[in-house]
Amino acid sequence: MARALSLGVSGVNGFPVHVEVFGVGGIPGMEIIGLPDASVRESRDRVSAAIINSGKQMQPRKITVNLAPADMKKEGPSFDLPIAVGVLMVMGELIPSPSYPSDRTAVFGELSLDGKVRPVHGALPMVISAKECGIENVILPAENAKEVACIEGIQILPANNLGDVIHHIEGSALIEPQKQISYEELCKETVVTVDMSQIRGQQAARRALEVAAAGGHNMLMIGVPGSGKTMLARCLPGILPPMTFEESLETTRIHSICGRLAPGSGLMVTRPFSSPHHSSSVISLIGGGPNAKPGEVSAAHNGVLFLDELPEFSRGALEALRQPLEDGTVSVARIRHQAQYQSSFMLIAAMNPCPCGYFGSTTHTCRCSPQEIRRYLDKISGPLLDRIDLQIEVDAVPVQEINNSSPAESSAQVAARVAAARMLQQDRYRNETFHCNAQLSNSALRKYCALNTETADLLNAAVESMHLSMRAYNRILKTARTVADLEGADNISSAHVAEAIQYRELDQKYWR
Amino acid sequence: MKFDERTYAAWLAFAEIPYDSLIPLIHQIKSAEGIYSEFKKSGSHLHEFIQGIPHERLVSTADEDSLSAFHRMLQDHEIQVLTILEESYPHCLREISDPPAILFYQGNLSCLKFPRKAAMVGSRAASYAGLKAAHKIAAELSRNGVSIISGLAYGVDTESHLGCLDGGSPTIAVMGCGLDQTYPSRNDPLKKQILAKDGLILSEYAPGVKPIGHHFPYRNRIISGLCDPVILVEARIRSGSMTTISHALKQGKEVYAYPGDPLSQLCDGNHLLLREGAHYFTEARDILSDMNWLDNIQYVRQNNVCPSMKLPENPSELAVYKALEKGDLGFDELLKATGMASSELLSTLTVLQIRKMIDPLPGKRYQIRND
Repeated sequence: MARALSLGVSGVNGFPVHVEVFGVGGIPGMEIIGLPDASVRESRDRVSAAIINSGKQMQPRKITVNLAPADMKKEGPSFDLPIAVGVLMVMGELIPSPSYPSDRTAVFGELSLDGKVRPVHGALPMVISAKECGIENVILPAENAKEVACIEGIQILPANNLGDVIHHIEGSALIEPQKQISYEELCKETVVTVDMSQIRGQQAARRALEVAAAGGHNMLMIGVPGSGKTMLARCLPGILPPMTFEESLETTRIHSICGRLAPGSGLMVTRPFSSPHHSSSVISLIGGGPNAKPGEVSAAHNGVLFLDELPEFSRGALEALRQPLEDGTVSVARIRHQAQYQSSFMLIAAMNPCPCGYFGSTTHTCRCSPQEIRRYLDKISGPLLDRIDLQIEVDAVPVQEINNSSPAESSAQVAARVAAARMLQQDRYRNETFHCNAQLSNSALRKYCALNTETADLLNAAVESMHLSMRAYNRILKTARTVADLEGADNISSAHVAEAIQYRELDQKYWR
Repeated sequence: MKFDERTYAAWLAFAEIPYDSLIPLIHQIKSAEGIYSEFKKSGSHLHEFIQGIPHERLVSTADEDSLSAFHRMLQDHEIQVLTILEESYPHCLREISDPPAILFYQGNLSCLKFPRKAAMVGSRAASYAGLKAAHKIAAELSRNGVSIISGLAYGVDTESHLGCLDGGSPTIAVMGCGLDQTYPSRNDPLKKQILAKDGLILSEYAPGVKPIGHHFPYRNRIISGLCDPVILVEARIRSGSMTTISHALKQGKEVYAYPGDPLSQLCDGNHLLLREGAHYFTEARDILSDMNWLDNIQYVRQNNVCPSMKLPENPSELAVYKALEKGDLGFDELLKATGMASSELLSTLTVLQIRKMIDPLPGKRYQIRND
């Protein structure tokens, strides 16, 4: 009987798995028990092929593999490597050197038939939990090494093939441990995919984007097709403050489980940008499926969730966004699994002003009746709209503007202002449970967004003459707070409120 | 059981008998109740009398249950009936070629005796500029004692009614369905407002008749028939509004067409009419002087002098205002014209909006408010 230590994943957390291998004489074969799923059960064929192709013998024995704890479901091919190690040991093909700390070394990885070790999903949560359990060494696929290279206090041993692992355990050739990469070092590699300087014109939308980023506000863009809504949204991750190490761990963990990380990549340093298609189901947005996998809202954790063509999303999908928007987490419960995933993201939505798309366009004629426009707008429910602070109109940029205008401000310049405004907020809310203006509750609004008489008069006059709702009133206060923060002002002035009012386009009278 | 005359009228109107069969019938028998009893007495006999007309609906509703249903609808919605036999039937409608024999109405019938009535028609999906024009023209006409007649549809119709109410004169709406119907669904508040302000809502259709497409072009002959002149605010060539104009021309009414943006397809109907000789006008005063309705001295004087606009005092507000004087501009164009920062321009725009000096247009554009 032999033992090997490995790791499994449940939700966003890893857990240690003891692989026990027992061999007796009898009809040759391998049985895997301990709630394995199909991909784990198939590993017996991969394991035997990999062992033979690594130059070892596969003796005819009846082998039983038990994955303990036996009451938790095991899934995925990451148990191939520990099973192979256990099988080799039980057959006497592999004798661990006395200096190999088998009870403090976890092993995981998928095997290919020729004995190569292939990368697996969820390496990051597994290594984090390994560290928490006091495990000191982890042998894992080489392509997963960079992903976990930032974690301190645990030795990462990247393996390219089964032979490497055998030699390491025998003590004949030790695996070179992965060099630790500090998070700061990783951050230097940041590349901004879409830069603000690439956007021509759109001054109002640029400013709104800056305000949204500075306060963490959700934003809705309304504009004719081709006005650049998607490009504007894609700029957002580049102007948000860089992720902290903790944020990066949280986000990379989720991406690791979903298998969204590119092979060989490290911790994520740019904020995620997730843009599900409008035909997405509730499950794909929120998470679920037989294994309760995280959905798009969790993939956008600490980043941006961009919903293009907002009214085309199913009603159910849009309503399901309300919990993650409110709580920053989402609970996914399925028959066998239950998981809680973090999902604190900025929602950026885009839509056309009407079904044909050309309401208010200066170049095209809109063919929609007022009822059709009304129906189109009504697809977005009040409660969802209530969670979107900024609503702006984006008009198409004329062709000559695209060619002639001088290059605009770059993302780096905007990001500097955004970062300064965020610092102010973090300082102001250091004793609170929230950390940016968008999260202000109604009672906190009164505390942090007090207006002087002149400013209050202006806002009241606007509410009256522009027929703004009470709902809009609170949104304007929050946004005005952010506008003031961008300027570095302590108090909200009339100019700040006046600017914030312009971000309530859906309250303009021509939409009613 | 016996019902009142208007219930029998509703029964008769519900069948939608063509007017050239119904008018002789009414003139011969003189009352709807008479027609009903005649019909009941000798169904087959009457059949000869109303030969060739579709009378299935007459038969199917000629029982006490249907009649009491009609009675209830008339009661519930306070609908009154006016037949062509009555003295108070509007004279101008008698003159058109196919007057409705029976009219249903809610509200103040004396609106019809108003000496000055103008119809305003236009598209349901008009441009923002068209809607504003409709409101402004209606309000100015109304201020000078002209009652506005329109069709209670969305768009230009709604703005015309609202403008008329703002100007203080009662307004008249002619519907293409029974008066018990809530159509168009979102104009119910407007209906109540019209009635509350001494207005009138008319229809030739009996209660219970649904809004069916072909009713509306036919209903338009009543809109044009009730008034003079007919004003086209904004319509495409193939549109219901243009049928009102052709009714008006057949009835010998004056037709005015508002000059819209020549590049916009939304008002190609206006330009067609103007080319074919419709009256050109740019403000309500043009119509008032043509119709010899300019007796409101104060109004005349006010309009003869150049309007002295209040200018904003704050320099940034003034800069934005000056830039907009040449025509409406988008946000980026305004930035270029004024040289301000985005944040400053945004807050200036809000202040000007609050002061009611500029209006926002769809697509992040702005224009000077001119009323």
